[in-house]
Amino acid sequence: MGLLVGETVHQNMTRWHSVNILLGEKSKYALLLVLLISVLGSMLWTAPVQAEDELNCVLCHKFRGLSRIDESGNFRLFYINENLFMKGPHKRVNCMDCHRDIEKIPHDPAKKVNCTAECHLVEPSGKKKFSHKPVEKILEKSVHGRFDEDGKPKEYQEDYPTCKSCHEQPLYRPLSFFKGVSSGVSRRGLGRCKTCHQTGDFAEDFYNHVTSRLQKTRESKEIVEVCAKCHEDPAFQKRHGLDNVVASYKDTYHYKAIRFGSDRTADCVDCHIVYGESVHSVESMDSPTSATYKANIAQTCRNAECHHEAGEGIASYRVHVDYNNKEKNPMEYYMLKFFTGLMAVVLYFFIVVIFLELLRRLFPNFSFSSAERAEHRQSKSVTKGGE
Amino acid sequence: MLNLIKTVISKLYILVLMAFTIWYGFFLYPVIFGHSADHDVEVLVSEEEHGGSFLDEAQNEEESMFDAALREQGSTATTNLGYMVVEEQYVQGHFHHVGMKVESDDTNLCLRCHGAVPHDKAKSIRAFLNMHAFYVACETCHIYPKEGASEWAFRWYNKETGDIIANPPGLTSLDKSMYGNYGAKIAPGFLKSDGNFRFLNGTKERAFVTKYLKEKDILSSTQQSKLKKIIHRNINEKPLLCDSCHTSNEDKAYLPFVQLGYPKRRMYDLTSTEVVGMIEKYQDFYMPKFLLPGEGWHEGDVEDEK
Repeated sequence: MGLLVGETVHQNMTRWHSVNILLGEKSKYALLLVLLISVLGSMLWTAPVQAEDELNCVLCHKFRGLSRIDESGNFRLFYINENLFMKGPHKRVNCMDCHRDIEKIPHDPAKKVNCTAECHLVEPSGKKKFSHKPVEKILEKSVHGRFDEDGKPKEYQEDYPTCKSCHEQPLYRPLSFFKGVSSGVSRRGLGRCKTCHQTGDFAEDFYNHVTSRLQKTRESKEIVEVCAKCHEDPAFQKRHGLDNVVASYKDTYHYKAIRFGSDRTADCVDCHIVYGESVHSVESMDSPTSATYKANIAQTCRNAECHHEAGEGIASYRVHVDYNNKEKNPMEYYMLKFFTGLMAVVLYFFIVVIFLELLRRLFPNFSFSSAERAEHRQSKSVTKGGE
Repeated sequence: MLNLIKTVISKLYILVLMAFTIWYGFFLYPVIFGHSADHDVEVLVSEEEHGGSFLDEAQNEEESMFDAALREQGSTATTNLGYMVVEEQYVQGHFHHVGMKVESDDTNLCLRCHGAVPHDKAKSIRAFLNMHAFYVACETCHIYPKEGASEWAFRWYNKETGDIIANPPGLTSLDKSMYGNYGAKIAPGFLKSDGNFRFLNGTKERAFVTKYLKEKDILSSTQQSKLKKIIHRNINEKPLLCDSCHTSNEDKAYLPFVQLGYPKRRMYDLTSTEVVGMIEKYQDFYMPKFLLPGEGWHEGDVEDEK
């Protein structure tokens, strides 16, 4: 680490000699200050270059079968896929930064990780130790928070999400803008960064981090699946008096496009988050500050990336219509019944007609009337006689 | 005659069309009424409420666990990173990415009753034991030759087919993520007089277990105990301990690593000070009573032993 910082200082000092000739005294001291800040900044940023497996945890945890069934009957897997671990922002964090109760090897059963603990990484803008604490604060105030406005625990505490309910270890989704937009790292773009930022994996990590943040962290289909984990469960819906919002959303054009691979149409978070706010700040549709509050719906649809020229009428579009709920949506319920009935009557009528027509062709002489059958036999014998 | 043939063909043609019409009627039903499927779920919920099923709030914790485990199915998760798609086994509550689908061992006869994650008694090392069960068949450690008897030979078998396979290529891979995930397991056996290899748990043993499972429900409880005794007749009272293979003297290791295709690099890992030393630590601090029947490690034992 000392070597890395030393290199940065050396590079900055070399630059200092070249600019010294070009600048006056005042500018020189101003620049000195800037350089000092940049050196300090570099020290802070380069501190966690890359997670090193200092305790060689993967000695055991690289084996896929490292697992057991816990006392609650859950399958617990302790495998770490090192390749994928190194593809996300957590690659800069050591195992023990999260699993803090592990003090020796071999270790006792590890406790649950506290995602809101302060990390040894320094957040560059505020120069403070990094923590997910702000997320927790936002989540607490949202409809997914465990406590109501009076600070009392809500009913069915176990249904409210924790970090791991929605998040797996994050993975970078880098973008290349060098010639057109495509997925992945632009080697040419990265090459330009690396001309100056040569130390460690700094350029690569920074590139991955920034370009991943310029798009959705997860594709829309995955976001719908995350919400569906709870909201699609009938027992969960019943406990909280909710409709099957996942099923009704899946009936919409938005989801049809997502199902066919689009990432540009609206998924859950696009409509349920006030434009530009954290994805953790979902509010109830009854809250006047909610993105889905009746008076705010049109504005939500009109955000810069969606229907930005739409009028107020767009708010009349109902996304979550449960056609089977007669009390809530009587018009839609009866309309659906009518058209289903109409379609069934028309189609099955013709199916029956065609079937009877075929039956007649199979038995052209069949009749329930004995007189008709006799008449037919007679006409047949006359025809034969004529021949 | 020609007329008869014509009539038969036309009648057959009509019959085919009639069958198609009936099929089409069935085909159309879900197309027309399929949207009510969600409604069916609601009906199911309300029906189950009265039946005291898994959705009944009054059910106790054990019932919930049991129902949840019954309903759990091997599902997969997909993460699309744009430049690559990660398709993996979905493990509820697992934060780190698994990054792979895992082939189950469909052939090992022990797993048919004991499951793929069988170790549970020795709490401090059960995960390690299950880790080994991923690429070492149960009988490798639980059945070993009696004193004076000739030693077993060992081979890899394909987890899906049970056939003997050559040493898996994953053994020599430099990709650490694939360690232990070879699609194969090591199992003991012996060389027959004709030079062919026969697994210890061969056709006869498989037939025993298959027959037992098939007829279990009609057997008396005494018969069940008898048959279980026969099936388990060769199991040693104590299994082999870790240091049988993880020994600093690799020539004395129970498993012939070189013959099984382990490159020297991997073999040195298995017999390295890191691994062997850790096992010694485990024996000193964690499992002094390890593997004495019914006396596995329990919470608090560590402190007591210290």
